[in-house]
Amino acid sequence: MLEREVTLTNEVGLHARPAAVFSKAAGRFSADITIVKNDAEANAKSMLSVLKLDVRKGDRITVVASGEDEGRAIDELVTLIESL
Amino acid sequence: MKRLRGVAASPGARRGPAAVVAAGSVSLPDAPVEDPVSEATALEKAMETVATGLEARAAARGGELSEILEAQAAMARDPELLAGAQRLIKERALPGGRAVMEAGEEYALALEASDSDYMAARAQDVRDVCRRIAAGLAGETSQLALEAPSVVVAKELMPADVADLDLHLVRAFATEGGSRTSHTAIVARSLGVPAVVGVDGLVSAIANGMLVGVDGDSGTVYLDPNPKTTEMLDRRSAERAAHIEELRTMAGDEPAATKDGTRVEIAANVASLPELQAALESGAEGVGLLRTELSFLDRARPPSEQEQSRLFADMAALLGDRRLVIRTFDIGADKPAPFLDTEEEEEEENPALGVRGIRLARRHPDILSAQLNAAVRTAGGRARVAVMAPMVSNLEDARWFAEQVEAAGGRSAGVEVGVMIEVPSVVFLMPELASLLDFVSIGTNDLTQYLHAADRMQGSLAGLQDPFSSALLRAVARICEGADAKAWVGVCGEAAADPGWALLAVGMGVRELSMDAGSILEVKAALRRITLEECRAAAEEAASAHRPEEARSIALSLLR
Repeated sequence: MLEREVTLTNEVGLHARPAAVFSKAAGRFSADITIVKNDAEANAKSMLSVLKLDVRKGDRITVVASGEDEGRAIDELVTLIESL
Repeated sequence: MKRLRGVAASPGARRGPAAVVAAGSVSLPDAPVEDPVSEATALEKAMETVATGLEARAAARGGELSEILEAQAAMARDPELLAGAQRLIKERALPGGRAVMEAGEEYALALEASDSDYMAARAQDVRDVCRRIAAGLAGETSQLALEAPSVVVAKELMPADVADLDLHLVRAFATEGGSRTSHTAIVARSLGVPAVVGVDGLVSAIANGMLVGVDGDSGTVYLDPNPKTTEMLDRRSAERAAHIEELRTMAGDEPAATKDGTRVEIAANVASLPELQAALESGAEGVGLLRTELSFLDRARPPSEQEQSRLFADMAALLGDRRLVIRTFDIGADKPAPFLDTEEEEEEENPALGVRGIRLARRHPDILSAQLNAAVRTAGGRARVAVMAPMVSNLEDARWFAEQVEAAGGRSAGVEVGVMIEVPSVVFLMPELASLLDFVSIGTNDLTQYLHAADRMQGSLAGLQDPFSSALLRAVARICEGADAKAWVGVCGEAAADPGWALLAVGMGVRELSMDAGSILEVKAALRRITLEECRAAAEEAASAHRPEEARSIALSLLR
């Protein structure tokens, strides 16, 4: 299992389209992936769970991946969040 | 046959089978499922179908709407939504439709509880997606997928609903809510299809597939029309089609001009891509007024430059070498937009005379500059783009606006700069405006209301809202004189769509008329039959008339 912390800088937060883009990207990996904000966590492959987490600009979140391609998943998803 | 009364919102008469746009009412089976495993599989399939359908529509639409549709497609393919619904199928033997709506509701409620309006609005998106899935499972076609020419019946149509329709298949609209100025009414007029709005008890009285007649002239909806009514509707529909065909042969594809060859650009007022498509099919020679704010009224935040330039570029692609006049946001206290919170500004006693249009833009220059950057970017892609500001009331406003366009790189990208003339003060500042700007466009609705100090929303003062009033006609003449051919003069108010009024305006010197798509052929045809000299003579006579009726009859004589 790998995890990494990242701060969201996107103006509009992880909402609607960014959330759709993110969950779609997460869906390409076989690893189980969750994102954690404060005490709440969400299945990164579920757009609705990501939306529900309500991640806004400046929020710190942790991406947790566990499975065969966990390394690649963490790298790509953290880069994606930083570039949103 | 049953007859329901409403408000006539778009002229014409047509009939067809009803396609009822159900808001929230899908017929959901109740009985516990016997085979949960196959129900769970069916659900997964239905979700995938809805997701694919939404993606296809997103790809076909482009622009801001495609983002909402793409996000909805991701919801339809959501693994947690599927898992939650499948759990309900297995544990409680719920039918798939109920299961997905119940599972989706959990997310909808959580989103609704958010303190962000934007997030709360997404709750409706989730519910909408779940309804589509349930409808798919129940074997009902997705609510808005028309398969044959239909009369679209709804409680109320949202902009996204309309964008979702295959507009070629819409015979007419009938809605329970709404007024002449509601979105359905505007869209219907711009598409040239009949509409009746504000019909009490409409949706509960109509089932899918029931034959319905819509008379958009009298504001009547006929349920199961009898043979006599059917004959009447068909006759009027055929007459109208023949009339339009006649106009089209006469004027459709030719550039608009008077009999003696004076070019007048006949453009369209639009707010969305489907409206633009309809306008181009009616022979529009450009867009004279793009109401930018209308595309973004469902937003909690101002749209980004990227999003706006996508919309502009999509429009420019359809327009080819025809001009796109982009009006910057016309919002304010009397025309609120959720993405710009004007509540925090001072309280206004007379919002129509308050902080709106460019007055609001000067307080939020970042919002304006996103619009101007998007316009300049589109022009840089070799499109013919013009920008204009609403509610300009002195030279300082016009100069400031021109500077903002310049700062965005407008001049070098070939963007034309103009302002709307709707505040009477600028009528008197024309010579200076004409040297500052490339063009002006007269907004006759507001200019008439402000000239007469009569609220245009107040029915009892409708007499003071007459575009044939002496003051308005003289104002138009004066604007054209003042422009002195240094800047071109257009009209984008409702008066431009009245063929007689339009000819008077041409006689005064107006060279661009922008209107609803439904009026384009009519005005083009009227122009073809007349010389510029005849328009000039009539304009002079009409401007010296003392009463609107006199001016109107002078205009009518031009049409004979």
